[in-house]
Amino acid sequence: MTHRVRAAAFVALLTLAAAGCAKSEDDKQAGAQDTAGQQQVAQTPAGNVPTCTIDKFGAHKFDLKSGVVGFSQSEKEANPFRIAETASIKSEAKKLGIANLKTTNGQSQFNKQISDVQQLIAQGAQALVIAPLNSDGWEPVLQQAAAKHIPIITVDRQINATACKDYVTFIGSDFYTQGKRAADQMIKALGGKGKVAILLGASGNNVTTDRTNGFKDELKQKAPGIQITFQQTGDFAREKGQQVTEQLIQSNPDVGGLYAENDEMALGAVTALKGAGKKAGQIKIVSVDGTRNAVSQIPGGWISAVIESNPRFGPLAFQTLTNFLNGEAIPQKVIISDREYDASNAKQSVSSAY
Amino acid sequence: MTESMTATAAVTEAAAGPTGRERAFGLIQRHGAAAVLVLLVAIGSFAFDRFPTGANLGNIAITSSFLAMVALGMTFVIITGGIDLSVGSVFALGGVLAAYAVRWGSLAALLLPLAVCGAFGLVQGLLIARVRLAPFIVTLAGLLGARGLLLSISNEGATTYLIPRGAVIARVGQGSLFGVGYPVYLTLALFVVGAVLLQRTRFGQSVYAIGGSEDAAELMGVPLTRTKVAVYVMSGLLAGLAGALNAARLSSGVTILGTGMELDVIAAVVIGGTLLTGGAGSVSGTVAGVLLLGVIQNLINQIGDLSSSYQQVVSGAFLAAVVVVQTYLSRVQRLR
Repeated sequence: MTHRVRAAAFVALLTLAAAGCAKSEDDKQAGAQDTAGQQQVAQTPAGNVPTCTIDKFGAHKFDLKSGVVGFSQSEKEANPFRIAETASIKSEAKKLGIANLKTTNGQSQFNKQISDVQQLIAQGAQALVIAPLNSDGWEPVLQQAAAKHIPIITVDRQINATACKDYVTFIGSDFYTQGKRAADQMIKALGGKGKVAILLGASGNNVTTDRTNGFKDELKQKAPGIQITFQQTGDFAREKGQQVTEQLIQSNPDVGGLYAENDEMALGAVTALKGAGKKAGQIKIVSVDGTRNAVSQIPGGWISAVIESNPRFGPLAFQTLTNFLNGEAIPQKVIISDREYDASNAKQSVSSAY
Repeated sequence: MTESMTATAAVTEAAAGPTGRERAFGLIQRHGAAAVLVLLVAIGSFAFDRFPTGANLGNIAITSSFLAMVALGMTFVIITGGIDLSVGSVFALGGVLAAYAVRWGSLAALLLPLAVCGAFGLVQGLLIARVRLAPFIVTLAGLLGARGLLLSISNEGATTYLIPRGAVIARVGQGSLFGVGYPVYLTLALFVVGAVLLQRTRFGQSVYAIGGSEDAAELMGVPLTRTKVAVYVMSGLLAGLAGALNAARLSSGVTILGTGMELDVIAAVVIGGTLLTGGAGSVSGTVAGVLLLGVIQNLINQIGDLSSSYQQVVSGAFLAAVVVVQTYLSRVQRLR
């Protein structure tokens, strides 16, 4: 009996601690939300792509407010993109009065994310929003979800499966186009000729592949005068970006442009350039993400342009889910329109960066 | 001092079987993790009605089974006083190789990863036992090497090979009996074999003796090289097998798996009562250690709203507490 009492006390403590954490996070979100007015806007008009309805998919109708919704985040909320993404989902759920939003975090371990989502299903989730760490390997989850007719919306990365059958829809950016737009900015910054280096994202990641291919294809097509003379992975991390850039300055002193596949690596590169005594704008940096830290480097000239990858999925994801549950036809793929920041607009719009 | 003591313990064990005191000592060491596990499961069942469901427990079991297979090999390695840091990469490599080889049939999808990962263990074992290099460095090189090999097979990770749904190996990875996945049964069987091997055979005695004191073991005529090479081969084989089965479950050779997994595996083994310094430990303790990690993770998710950084703080604190309790228990026992 005493064990039970003790156990209860222990659990109470844990829950208190959890509630405390949750509260402090909510406060932070509210702050972020105020300044971050820039919601995602869907790019594709619903008519052009195949659509999905609740009848076609075969899910059960339920009331979003009283139902259980699971959100599975892939990586720790340790970088601006993930922080903004999770905050956006949570605050939108709160706004809509969804009482039972369960969130998990895969901590960058794919097997953990799979097990997280399976656990959400076991906990009675009636709809799932997933930010997948990887596009392949979702078989066990898809099978379980299919058996229980649970609709899945994937955000920011796709799952390699059939839309409206294995999952309902995908909401996210077009990474290939992001690469192309980065190339356009690079061409503008370099005047169409010169040598360019690439700080690649993490290997084995389709974001890396798409952002690289988009960039290279666009350069090949529009600016044959630009050569790519150096490319190495910076693992999407700031320190690694700095380290690789330091090597780059030593080994390829004639490089005029640097394409970083995310903002963190670009910021690392800026630090490296400063450390090597370079001046702002001596090497033109173009990156993808649109974090506030990176955008605020544009007016000073350290970064030439930033292509946005908007992480605020909450409103669009829940709007899509609501429409789906109401029986409306929703597109099987929702591509969001990303903005871009350069010298012409960075100062005015830095406040809406995340 | 302690080293020679455990060595003597191993010798007596070899000669006359465990005495009552040694049995109690071992029992308490094993009990650290098991007791906390029972406690946590009780609390979990009490606090969350979605915790003790068959679906949830089955989920913990299947997720833990792959970690457990790898941890089984690691238990042997650590008892010899070694360490194998390559298991995470080898696990991922095994998965990619299985998905790559499935084009030649399910048997190939099983044998290729076993062959390559076993060979990986063999080379590491030879470097450690023959050339007498430090296990830490050799297997750290193995960690990088296996990851590199994986990336070269998968075009820098750009290609993910898929295992078709109908393949026999996919059915083994995904199928279940009484709501529990096949891999769980296989893991249990492997642990029974592992326990017999460690507790009831000459090989097992050699493993303990080497970890207790290498010099003493050599004087006793324990086959040093052979035993050491064998444990690293075992570790490679089990990591490869776990990787292949995991790939079968996921239907694809996911390239981003296994980073940092070696630390989870080592943590599970150590929590299970195996001494990092070698010479003492058990496979049953490892089971408890692995399950403990799985249950902690599951309970954190049950709470539901813990931010990701706090999740790590909580699981770190849990682990620290378990190890402290365990160390305290075993120290008290030794002082007596």
